[in-house]
Amino acid sequence: MSAYQNMDQMTGDFYTQKFEAAKQDGTLIINMGPQHPSTHGVLRIVIEVDGEYIVRAEPVLGYLHRMHEKMGEVQTWGGFIPNMGRVDYGHAMAWNWAYVGAVEKLMGIEVPERAQYLRVIMTELNRLTSHLLWWGAYILDLGAFTPIMYAFDDREMLLDILQRPSASRLTYSNFRVGGVQMDMDDKCIELIKAFIPHFRDRLPMYHDLVTENIILRRRIEDIGIIDQDMCRRYGCTGPVLRGAGVAYDVRRSEPYSVYDRFDFEIPTQDSACSAGRYHVRIAEMEQSLRIIEQALEQLPGAEGSHIVDKAPKPAMKPPVGEAYFAVEGARGKIGIYVASDGTKTPYRVKLRAPGFSNMNAFAEAATGTILADAVAILGSLDLIIPELDR
Amino acid sequence: MLQALAGIPTQLVARQDKGTTGNVWSVFLAPKQILKTARKLMEAEYSLEDILALDFNEGFLVLYHFNRWTIDERVTLRVLVSRDNPVVPSIASVFHGAEWHERETRDFHGVIFEGNPNLVPLLMPAEDVDVHPLVKSAKARLSIKEVLSLGEIVSSTGEIDALFAEAEAGEASDA
Repeated sequence: MSAYQNMDQMTGDFYTQKFEAAKQDGTLIINMGPQHPSTHGVLRIVIEVDGEYIVRAEPVLGYLHRMHEKMGEVQTWGGFIPNMGRVDYGHAMAWNWAYVGAVEKLMGIEVPERAQYLRVIMTELNRLTSHLLWWGAYILDLGAFTPIMYAFDDREMLLDILQRPSASRLTYSNFRVGGVQMDMDDKCIELIKAFIPHFRDRLPMYHDLVTENIILRRRIEDIGIIDQDMCRRYGCTGPVLRGAGVAYDVRRSEPYSVYDRFDFEIPTQDSACSAGRYHVRIAEMEQSLRIIEQALEQLPGAEGSHIVDKAPKPAMKPPVGEAYFAVEGARGKIGIYVASDGTKTPYRVKLRAPGFSNMNAFAEAATGTILADAVAILGSLDLIIPELDR
Repeated sequence: MLQALAGIPTQLVARQDKGTTGNVWSVFLAPKQILKTARKLMEAEYSLEDILALDFNEGFLVLYHFNRWTIDERVTLRVLVSRDNPVVPSIASVFHGAEWHERETRDFHGVIFEGNPNLVPLLMPAEDVDVHPLVKSAKARLSIKEVLSLGEIVSSTGEIDALFAEAEAGEASDA
């Protein structure tokens, strides 16, 4: 039994009791989660409320902790790739990419051009599915049921497309060190080409239905301010940072792969509130479509195949050393640090999850708002709990 | 980067190959310098990416990854602490986001961050406070020089080089 254990379950567990120690007079302490529907998984937040107003909040993580980093230390380098699909079910491709990218750096592998384009197309399609999932679920959190049906309608088409080159629908793990597992067939490319105009036609409807809705605007505008200073202090990235007016996108700032060949914008908003983050994500979907379009144009001219010749086997032995590789995921900067001792198992794998840092800023952003706004702020951070807990 | 660290006593500063490591500056520091360094980096508009520890025979090597929004120049601060008394001052008062990263590192490796406002288990359950899953067994644990290399040394006081002495002699071409 440890010092943190509390046998008197009637008065809450260790975290509640610790939180309660600083309680003010006349306030109430409540647990939001771990089963609260708006937390999208099992996230728990201990909140002290004065009437409807939040005085203090403390997230309690770890309910979905699976110790991926330890799994990395006991598996082969290649055997760890499927874990990446499970860290973040929203944008699994980006995690795949961050990991294989770090290993490629370590081994000095040059990925063929065609494989680079395939990665870009699949990762951007996956970004769309992630943003659509967020969009539908966020509006659902705020009380509107219909939009998620439209979002999943479009998302379903994307999953059908991604199923062809990856053989899975959610927890993708089709990236390999040196390329991707399978090439895209003509049918798949045809489907993507048909999807782009279809989705472009749908976006105005999304805006008409939801974005300009006065109820939504009242719920999210000027709620949950996370400004540039907070972003720097907490290490927020992705739409949270761009929603605070900083045009920071790893695809542009630390260019990797062939992203420097595409013409796309980094949408930003200066409002730093939940609405800012909402608009950034919606605008990003349009930019992803642009990237996919350009990638499809350039794909036939790309050299090489979908994977490098003599691609390393899962039990590869990268040379001794360390490498850090960052990519832009749907939620922000995904960074993976690997250290190799020259054997077929990594010495250390460290996963930097963007949601972890973004969530860290929640307590400060939520302080002083009303309880219902906490839901609006949580949703605007686009949390994927397995990614927070890893 | 070097201007940002002016006035801070470092143990070793090295430039690493960005193409193969993704990192540009590697700075070894004594534990007591970390807070002052974090303040300097905050002033120089760096943001914290993450904090992690590596388990070596020589002790726990705590890494802090920093990067800037405007320039892609990753800086890794490295603090080596002994296995018997793994205590590092917390930088959570400067970079508030460090609080969770430090708690995570405490969970996984048992490194104590002195001054962290809330150093209780974050990801591991509160009941398993003495279980540190990423601490390696004596058999699996290696020396620092068997995993890392220094890069191109810019300045050094000598104490860190000594840990790498053998490796440098063996792989002189890497330096």
